[in-house]
This record gives sequence, C-alpha cells and structure tokens, in this order.
Amino acid sequence: MSAPGRLRRFAIRTGAVAAKEATHAVRDPRTLYLALGMPVVLLVIFGFGISFDVEDVPIAVVDQDRTPDSRALERSLTTGHEFVVAARPDDPAEVDRLFRERTVSAALVVPRGFAREWAAGRRAPVQLLVDGSDGVGAQSVLGNASAALRAEGRRRLAAETGGAAAPLAAEVRLLFNPALRSAVFFVPGLIAYILYIVGVLLTALTIAREQERGNLEQLFATPVGRLEVMLGKLLPYLALGLLQALLVLAFGMAVFEMPLRGSLGVLGLGTLLFLAGALAQGLFISSVAGSQQVATQAGALSSLLPGVLLSGFVFPVENMPLLLRALASVFPARYYVDLLRGVMLRGNGFDALWGDFLGLGVFCLAAVALATLGFRRRLA
Amino acid sequence: MTDAIAVEGLGRRFGAFHAVRDVTFTVARGEIFGYLGANGAGKSTTIRILCGLLAPTAGRATVAGLDVAADPEGVKRRIGYMSQRFSLYPDLTVAENLDFFGGAYGFSGRALRRRIDAIVEETGLRALRDSATQSLPAGLQQRVALANALLHDPELLFLDEPTAGVDPASRREFLALVRRRVRRGATVFLTTHYMDEAEYCGRVGMMVDGRLAALGTPAELKQRLVPGDAWSVRSARRAELQAALAATDGVRAVHPHGAGFRVRCDPARLDGATLAARCREIDPAAELEPGTATLDDVFHAVVAGGGVA
Repeated sequence: MSAPGRLRRFAIRTGAVAAKEATHAVRDPRTLYLALGMPVVLLVIFGFGISFDVEDVPIAVVDQDRTPDSRALERSLTTGHEFVVAARPDDPAEVDRLFRERTVSAALVVPRGFAREWAAGRRAPVQLLVDGSDGVGAQSVLGNASAALRAEGRRRLAAETGGAAAPLAAEVRLLFNPALRSAVFFVPGLIAYILYIVGVLLTALTIAREQERGNLEQLFATPVGRLEVMLGKLLPYLALGLLQALLVLAFGMAVFEMPLRGSLGVLGLGTLLFLAGALAQGLFISSVAGSQQVATQAGALSSLLPGVLLSGFVFPVENMPLLLRALASVFPARYYVDLLRGVMLRGNGFDALWGDFLGLGVFCLAAVALATLGFRRRLA
Repeated sequence: MTDAIAVEGLGRRFGAFHAVRDVTFTVARGEIFGYLGANGAGKSTTIRILCGLLAPTAGRATVAGLDVAADPEGVKRRIGYMSQRFSLYPDLTVAENLDFFGGAYGFSGRALRRRIDAIVEETGLRALRDSATQSLPAGLQQRVALANALLHDPELLFLDEPTAGVDPASRREFLALVRRRVRRGATVFLTTHYMDEAEYCGRVGMMVDGRLAALGTPAELKQRLVPGDAWSVRSARRAELQAALAATDGVRAVHPHGAGFRVRCDPARLDGATLAARCREIDPAAELEPGTATLDDVFHAVVAGGGVA
C-alpha cells in the first residue's frame, strides 16, 4: 500500500472512531452535563466558597480604660469591614468563654491606664487574642488586626510629632492584584482544577464502557489500530473540552472579574495542550482499568489530588519538599495554573511561559503514548 | 487452491487450563463449517484465535493463507467476525453502526454509501436504518451485527453462536442470509450449540473439553458414530422407562432430549416392534416415533465415548 493511501486510511479510520464517539457524547446527557454543566457549578461553588478575604469577623472588646483614646483604637479595627464587635465583656476572664462558645474569633483587651501611658510617652501595651484553631482564617484575622493597630499607632505618632514622617516608610504596592482579592489569585487555580478533573473523567469511562459492553472485541476484529482508536476518542472530547474551557474562562472573567492581560492565542494554545493531556490521561486510565468503576475512581483520584495539592492552586509548589516538587512536575496542572496566572494577570507571552508550554506538551505526548501502548488490541 | 482455513496442532493455554489442545482441521473455500460443543468446550477460544484476537500457545493456523500469529492484521482485513455477545453500539442507529464499521474497514464517502445501501437491502434492514439498535428485538439485532460483519465483503465469515437466544423463525432467516453469501463464494465458520443448525453445515467439528472429538460431514458422522435406528420416546414415566431400556439387550444409547428421550438401537438385535413392546410393558401410554439418527445423537455419542475423530 502506498504511503498516501495508508495515510488516507488512517484518517478514515480515525474519523470513523471520532464520529462514533461524538455521537455517543451528544446522545448521553451525563456526558454533556459533565462537560458543560458541572464545570460551571463547581466554579460557582468553589469560586464563592473559597475566599481568604475575611469580613465581619466577630470580635470581643474589653475596654478597661474607657477613654477617648481607647475608643479610637477600637474604631480603628471596626471602620473597615473586617471586624464587628460582638461582645463587650467587662472582665477579661469572660473572653475565654466567648472563644470557647465561638461567639468571637478575636478579642482586643485594652488595659486600664492605656491612655495615660501613651500620653506619658511610654509603651502602651494592648492585647490581641485570635482563635488559632482555624489556621488560614487566623492568619488573615491576625494580619488584618495587627495592620490596623499598627496604622493607628503610626497615625497617632504622626499627629503628635506634628506630621513628621516616620524615618523609614516603605511604600508597599501589590502588582497585578492591587486589592489583593483572593478570587484573582484563586480562580486560575480553580479553572485548572475543574478542567483537569472533568477532562480526565470525560475519557476515563469511554474504553472501560466498551470493554464492559463487549464492543471492544468487535472493534479488535477490525483493522482499526491503537493510535487510531486513541486519536479518534481524543478529538471529539477535545472539541467538547474547548467549549467547556471557553465557558469556564468566560464565566471566571464575567463573574469573578478576572482580567485577561495577555493574548488569547497563548491562552488558547496552552488550554488545548492541557486539555489534550488531561483527556489522554483519562484514556490511559480507561485502557488499563478494565471496568468503569475502577476507571472512575482512578480518574477522579489521579486528577483531584494533583489538581488541588500539586498545582499551586492552594499551596505554592516552590515551597514544597523536593520529592513533592518533583511529583508536581509530572502532572500538567501546575504548568497550566502558572500559565493561566501568567497570561491572565501578568500578561505574559510565549517568551515568559515557554517552560509551562514545554511541561504541558511533554505530558500530553507522554500520556497519548502511554494510552496507546497500554491499550491491548488482543484479548488476554 | 489452498484451504480457506488450515489448523494444525492448535492449542491455547490460560495458565494451567488448556482451553484448546491439539486441534487439527481444514476448511475448504466455499464451505460452511460448523463448530459444535458445550459451553466452555473451547469453541470461542478457537474462533478468537482464527480471527487474530488471541494468540495461540501451540500449533499454527492459517486463515486465507495468512498465519494468524504472524499477521493478525492481514487476517482481520480479510474476515468478517460476529462475536458471541451482542457487540454493536446500542445508542447508535443501524446506519450509524454501519457507518462506523465501514469506516473501520477504511471505506468512506460514496463507496461507503453504496456498500451500506447494498447491505441493508441484502439483509432486509432498509426500513430500520434510522432505528436505534437497542430498540430492536434480538433477532434483528443479530441481523444488524451480520450486516456489519458483511459490509466489507469478507472472503471468510466467522460467526460465534450467532443465533443464541433468537427465535426459530429469525434463526432460519439468518441462516438463509448466510447461505446466500456462501453461494456467492464466501467461506463460513460458525459455532453453535443448536444441533439442527449444524445439519446445514457442510462439515462439522465437535469439541469436547478443548479437543476436537469428531470431524466430518453430518451424514458421515451419523453413519460412523450412530449407526442403526433412533427413536424419540415420550412417556409420563420417563425415568423408569429410560432405566429399563438402557438395560435392554440391543439398545446402544439412551439420552434425554427435549421433553422425552432418544433411544438408539442395533437393528440386527432389536427391531422396532420389539422395542415398542418393551416400552408398553412399562408404560402402556408411551409414544414412540421412529426416525433416523441426528447430530444430537452423534454429539451424545461423542461426549459419552470420549470421541472418535
């Protein structure tokens, strides 16, 4: 057979598998929901649910000083929306009970003599108590409260010295996310996580289902090759995946006010590579799993864990121990999270993101190769 | 002209279990070869080896002149295969299934359309083109599967229990379609456990526990393995009567069949009148129906006798 003839047959057979697979997908409401419904649901739930922006934290204020100065200190905490005063016990011992009953998450204790000490130019200590049992929340509360208190201290100092500036004043500006909104930081990670898990699950069932139904034996009896099966299964889901990515990205930009500072082309190509890798990972799992049940479990685990823990979505990969960092480098999620942040927030192009493209490309090729090799065309 | 199928010393082992051992036979071009045996006797294993789906662990087999172990892909292009399980895509329509399998054999565009038009005409499925396969009754589903296997005009057709679980009328129609293909030059290898189906075959091979226990035309096998007369007996006191006849001189074999049982006799020692009289002694209401030996009788003789190849 001539080379063009062989190529033509390859294309025909791949196309036949792709057309069949596309028909399966559009006929199956579960596939359509998984591809187009679930990502939006996940984005809404997680997008609004995950936030480090703490607001209206209930605080107890024990003001034993009862002076205009002590009240000004209290106001410095509550003028923003970070804190609301939930209790004003007279006895500091009372605070302990309030914490235990979870009435408050923080407490400010201003001891008697605060104003007097301050006026005398001496150290005027106040006590700030934070519920440390909720680690992430406590850090934010602590950060917000101490910043507010320090600012109040500086303000008073400046007022007393007649406006003279403090000797060292760092002017802090946060680039790319000036308001430090956690959504801006989170949504790219979230998008990667959603596309990853849905991508893997979309294809994880396809081969296992055919095996359970007995379709594979019939397919094996035809001249369709392994790579033709893999590519044929990959293509329709890639189209579906791109539609899903478009939906999720548009949703992220509209609802969570994500910027897109870089080029759409860079974003599109990165997304294509990432999706192809995730789908091929699903195909690999499907070809070795043997049953739909095993495939679902393995698909969910192998995308969920790297997608959350090893992607930089929540925990920065750079701070991980070497072993975990190496493991994170295997999965495509970290490259895509990095790419999304780069292209959306910093406006990076290929020159800055080539490492991510390399990581995504290598994973994609390796996953397609593994899926093809793992797919046995003979019966055991 | 070489044989369509040539099998020599073929064996397949799964761990310590010999599914098929030392099987040798040939199938001529244009022949319908029936492969008979109980479930687990090695029929499906043999057919899968011949279709290039399963590698043999011993011996060799050539299909359409190609070695199945060395060139399974070449074999696949020349054969049509219908697996034992209903293995179409149930959510696709008849036409979509045909589209897919046509594409799988490398047909596209107008050539594919022409083939599909011809095959739905041949198999009488034209009106059902756009029906979802899962909505069709079993008999029609089997016909769609046959249409799939015939779409690329294979020179050899492998059918693994094609009519299992299908009503008798549909079975007859199905076999008529197969025989029409044979008249056009195709070779058919089919497995079945319906003995009446095997009567249509040019030659049959009988598998018992992985071995080919008997091989020949239906007439030869009957002549050689179950000579003499054969009777169908129906009686309310079946067990008692069966035991009594089995102990009677001149009775070669007694085995249950349908609602009654079959009795084979040596005509030199026991004629019909004597047999009837012997039956009536035990059950006056017993019904006897004279007949010739069937492949079912052959199969029972083969299983009982361990086989005479």
